Amino acid sequence: MGRILIVDDTLFMRTLLKNILFSGGHTIVGEAADGEEGIAKYQELKPDLVTMDVVMPKMNGIESLKGIRQFDPAAKVVMCTAVGQEQMVKLAIKTGARGYIVKPFQAPKVLEEVKNVLAS
Amino acid sequence: MKEVPVKIEQNGAWLSIRLGLEEDHLVIPPPINRKILFRDVVNLDERKNLLILTVKGEPETVYRILTVEKVIMVMRRLILMLCNAYRLNAYFLSPAVRGGVLVTDAQWEKGAIVVVRTGIWFVSSVKQVCIPLLDVADIQLTKKEVQGRQTDVVKIDHVDAGEVVTSFVLCPISTLQILFNFLTDATKSIEMRGDELDEYDQQVAMLVYSGMDSSAIINMLSVNNKRLNTIYDKLIGLGIAEVVEIRREVKLTTKGIKYIADATKQ
Repeated sequence: MGRILIVDDTLFMRTLLKNILFSGGHTIVGEAADGEEGIAKYQELKPDLVTMDVVMPKMNGIESLKGIRQFDPAAKVVMCTAVGQEQMVKLAIKTGARGYIVKPFQAPKVLEEVKNVLAS
Repeated sequence: MKEVPVKIEQNGAWLSIRLGLEEDHLVIPPPINRKILFRDVVNLDERKNLLILTVKGEPETVYRILTVEKVIMVMRRLILMLCNAYRLNAYFLSPAVRGGVLVTDAQWEKGAIVVVRTGIWFVSSVKQVCIPLLDVADIQLTKKEVQGRQTDVVKIDHVDAGEVVTSFVLCPISTLQILFNFLTDATKSIEMRGDELDEYDQQVAMLVYSGMDSSAIINMLSVNNKRLNTIYDKLIGLGIAEVVEIRREVKLTTKGIKYIADATKQ
């Protein structure tokens, strides 16, 4: 089970992910509402895994992923994208994302992906 | 003629026979004694190791054939390539997304799309995938990046074993449009206007989709049970959701309270 940081600008999606991850036995160590806050929280909390929304205000998920990877090249980040954002997914892969969840998502698959990334 | 061992249903009983397979027809030996041309097959459905063939005639005849996966693969391919159906050459990517998680090793496969009465079949040299039309949740004509270029594709979302699976079909735009129109027409019973649910209802529907139960939804949205039940009634009324379990809330009677009080004294 992992210590997880959730980065998403919508409270609804953060709450949903929190519930899903909590039900899978994970600990939610923090939440951030934009990419900048995501980097700051990562540095502060050093979680085992981050779920990162792609489209966010201030700093998007890709930039935030870059920032986190600069701080910790081994960071495990799972991107949350919408179907059709293949360009973003490609960019995220290049930038070092370990996994991808496509919205809307279903709890068992999210937990499976998180488990796989944590085990990798 | 190749012969394969199968069981075939006749009058509710299963008969073990050796089914004859030719390039364009199959032969069912006595006591059924029937030659079926593949071009006369108007529908092909599948349940696990059971193939269900509907053959044209007055009236149509339905044959249920039970056999091992290896034989089913051969039969399916022969039938799908010749049966009476809407068929087109295409590339397909299935599944591309399962339960919201990208299938990372998914690859475009060259093959054919065969649309029969009850489903859409993707057929390649190594794979045969069926999406029952009743399980189709959404169809969109959209763009997807293929080899670095934004390309027109048809995106099909369907439910498989309780998970939403996304597949893509790629072929020339004129054919895609025909496929899209055909599928839209075939699945119009699931179409909605889009304004039936308010934002709150949509949030509840999204949470149900994600696998949240009633108590999780009540906690997450700070909604009371009565309001949630009203929203559930709306979703059920629209055919968006169905009841899977009815839970009861109870409170202890005086006898129950006394029992617990006594038990904690010991």
